[in-house]
Amino acid sequence: MIEYHQTEQGEFSDTSEFGVKVIGIGGAGANVLDRMALEGSDDAELLTLNTDIRALSTSVSSQKIQLGTTLLKGMGTGGDPTLGKQSAIEAVDEIRKAVRSSKMVFVCVGLGGGTGSGAAPEVCRIAREEGVFLVVFATMPFTFEGERRMGQAKSALDQIARYANAVITFDNDRMGELIVPKDGVAQAFAAADKIISQSIRATMNVVFRPGIIRIGMDDLLSALDAEDSRCLFGYGVAKGDNRSHEALEQALKCPLLDRGKLLTDARSVLVQVAGGDTMTLFEVQLVMEEVAKHVGKQTQILFGTGTDKRLGNSLTVTIISSITGPAASSIRAAQEEEAAAPSISLGMPALAEIPERTQPISPLASIPVSAPAVAYSSEPEAELEADALAEENPIFEPEPTNDSSVFEPLEDFEVPFVEDEPIVPAYAPDPVPPLHRAPVFQADPEDGSDLVNPIARAMGGTPEHGFGSPPPFPPQSSGNEVGRVEALTESSQKITLSRVFGSGGTGRIKTRDPLAPALDGPVLPTGKPQGMPYEELDAELTSLEARQQQEMLQLDPVAGRGRFAKTDPTIVDGEDLDVPTFLRKKK
Amino acid sequence: MAASNIYVGLEIGTSKVCMVVGEVRSDGAIKILGVGQHPSAGVRKGEIVDPETVQTCLHDALMRAEERSNVEVNTVFLAVTGSHVQSLNNRGTIRVADEQMEITPEDLEEVKKIARDVPLPKENGYIHSIIQHYYVDGKDKIPNPVGMLGQKLEADYHIIHGVKTRIQNAIKCVREVPLEVEDIVFSPVAAAQVVLNREAKNEGALLIDIGGGTSDYICFIDGAVVASGCVPIGGDHITNDIALVLKIPLARAEKLKVNHGSASLKGMIDVEIPVEGESGRKVSQELLNQIMNARVTELLSVIHEPLAKAGYLSRLGKGIFLTGGSSLMRGISDLTEEIFGIPVQKSGAAAMSGPSALFENPQYATPVGLIRYAQLLDEQKPKRGPLSKLGEKLEKFFGGGK
Repeated sequence: MIEYHQTEQGEFSDTSEFGVKVIGIGGAGANVLDRMALEGSDDAELLTLNTDIRALSTSVSSQKIQLGTTLLKGMGTGGDPTLGKQSAIEAVDEIRKAVRSSKMVFVCVGLGGGTGSGAAPEVCRIAREEGVFLVVFATMPFTFEGERRMGQAKSALDQIARYANAVITFDNDRMGELIVPKDGVAQAFAAADKIISQSIRATMNVVFRPGIIRIGMDDLLSALDAEDSRCLFGYGVAKGDNRSHEALEQALKCPLLDRGKLLTDARSVLVQVAGGDTMTLFEVQLVMEEVAKHVGKQTQILFGTGTDKRLGNSLTVTIISSITGPAASSIRAAQEEEAAAPSISLGMPALAEIPERTQPISPLASIPVSAPAVAYSSEPEAELEADALAEENPIFEPEPTNDSSVFEPLEDFEVPFVEDEPIVPAYAPDPVPPLHRAPVFQADPEDGSDLVNPIARAMGGTPEHGFGSPPPFPPQSSGNEVGRVEALTESSQKITLSRVFGSGGTGRIKTRDPLAPALDGPVLPTGKPQGMPYEELDAELTSLEARQQQEMLQLDPVAGRGRFAKTDPTIVDGEDLDVPTFLRKKK
Repeated sequence: MAASNIYVGLEIGTSKVCMVVGEVRSDGAIKILGVGQHPSAGVRKGEIVDPETVQTCLHDALMRAEERSNVEVNTVFLAVTGSHVQSLNNRGTIRVADEQMEITPEDLEEVKKIARDVPLPKENGYIHSIIQHYYVDGKDKIPNPVGMLGQKLEADYHIIHGVKTRIQNAIKCVREVPLEVEDIVFSPVAAAQVVLNREAKNEGALLIDIGGGTSDYICFIDGAVVASGCVPIGGDHITNDIALVLKIPLARAEKLKVNHGSASLKGMIDVEIPVEGESGRKVSQELLNQIMNARVTELLSVIHEPLAKAGYLSRLGKGIFLTGGSSLMRGISDLTEEIFGIPVQKSGAAAMSGPSALFENPQYATPVGLIRYAQLLDEQKPKRGPLSKLGEKLEKFFGGGK
């Protein structure tokens, strides 16, 4: 029997109970947030992140996090994304804490500058690690801002796309073209901000408004899922006798829709009509009939309607769609797919595995019996993490485990070195993108299955795709051995000890080789909640390996590099390839 | 372009400096006029470490080449390689202006500019940007979209880039001989011109050029370059391994490798091989093969991994072509086939006229390929073909002339 919640229908549910957060990063992001606050943000919490303390202090949002407190001392990044990234990393704990309470996060950011391009990918990564449903509204710079900024923006967008469930890009060039033939600069930017803030709100409303005919995340994704897409968005609100007509007229007037002309090409259009109790079926019908005139015959109309007491006498029309558009770059196409795929791939396994699926998400917890000591010693931590996550996110994506291959070699690690382990707690970026383990966003517990199911269905065969082609992981963490060694934390130290002692250390070092492919390959699912165990493991391995190489030179003079002694070493997967393979493998 | 149909290819390899003088006839056939080569010194892993020594070798090779071909060499096409050379694929998109509709050559330039606009490390410069495919309004694999009607033009480019200063060092070295460098070419791009025919490129082929200091590879699918790269391991490493493990001098290790060694462990008869010059010392065939096998296996795995990950291997209809001096090694085909699971053939340059029996030797694939590359470049200059020229610094030098 399907449960039917009569009472909830027709009532506007409070978005705050879903933990919606809107994060503005950098100057442009803050402007959008200010605009949202100005227009009265419904229930979403607003969070501004910026490096520039002056800009931050003028922001009106309820929460603020200053990035790069020590790195930049309250100054801006001066357009350098590296600084932006560093400063985001500096504030990682605060950001993590801020997004943790949310189920859905909207990030709005202006790409091209330092803070936006640098910090946004980091924030997105953190958000996904925390398992929120992430929608990013990114503004691309004007062409006249130069190729360099455009390049920075593109590469940032590329990274963001790996983490976000959906990315909606606004092209500043396009904005200028559409909004401001003669308006002043300030008005132009204000209008741009307004459009973005409206679309965030509309997206939020569309998804959370329960409605008589409900629109869910699945519909939204499908509306935004064009091959090479440019987002179309229109929103209108009107009162009075002719309100349905006027509201639609307004929505179509929105610059991004170009008076509805662009809708002709759209593959699917999402339309939501909402009003107070006085809204009549006739009015809804009127709106839909008019919408139908603007779209092609093949276009799928995703229709939703709902009543909301707070709207009073007014009626709103929201149109969201995307077209294969010229303004959209190829990156976007890839990214839309990428963004859509992971969220979809989550749907199926998540549903199947809801019960008793808390433990295995941590790889430590699912270590096979072949390494009992390891499993035992690391269990408590794994459980802890699993539980912590379980509370926040009811649905997890289970992961195919091949942990045995990862962990078995540990038995061969050497004991004596472990005690001198340097303990320098530091932040190390997770080398593997967290896409595959971000939980499915669940609107509310009762409706969860309804929401998840259609996503999976709508996207048909894509789940495998989601797993099969994880994007290349960010290069920032590879090859930086020194940094990695420093990344050891206290807890990793503990694990190291217990693992090594537990396995009764044979006193021999095994080279990292059998591990390396498993660790570096993108196929390997990491699936632990905070990205911790792998970092630790990796750092630990790296440090062991560093020592091991040193030792090799001391103990085995033959294992030199011969004629290559004076050349740049060729390091692949942490091995010096100039040393004879034969000697390395023999060890 | 009076003297333009005689081209000179120069490869400063780890094991040899080789200069090939070729004439391109009006019908497009290539005749090799002469070759000058000299054992190389001062080069490690494909890169020049001792410019003075290299210049001596280069001078020698130049003398021989001029003598044999009876041509005065002024400008050369230089093959470059090294571990710093990297590649990536990128797509550029432009919207064709509404009133225009028909795609013009300027649009292709524009889309190329956009496709090339990838963030490279600051110290890197472009070596090649090779067009893979054009897409017009999402319709794929259009070889030449000029004149087509469309609104959106996309182009996939394969971009090969390397550290500018390292490439400039090679150019500087050649300039001081003095010779002018007309263009720089990433070694496997040149080798592919003569080792892979059109059919192989279309059906998918992987060329692995295992040289003395580096192993370069280039992968073609559907007639386009999809991957290329350089692994700084070559025959030198194998020799070095043998010398270090057996504790014998490099020269003897080299002889052992060439005369007795095999990369495959299959069908091996374990005999004792006497080490030349060291009375009474014998080496087991098994040990020798194991040393070589370990090294070559590792080398091939390093190449195999990214290609397998990208899913290219299943699309190689024509399999793998091994070339370069080290591909003469015994057992290497078997081992490659074992690792990649794809048919393997050893191959040198395709037949062309001249004293060319020599050039079917895989050692000469790259320098001969340079001639072919030069020819293609010349043919395509008017219409701006796929192998258009790059190297920003070179453009500066040849600014008006090109």
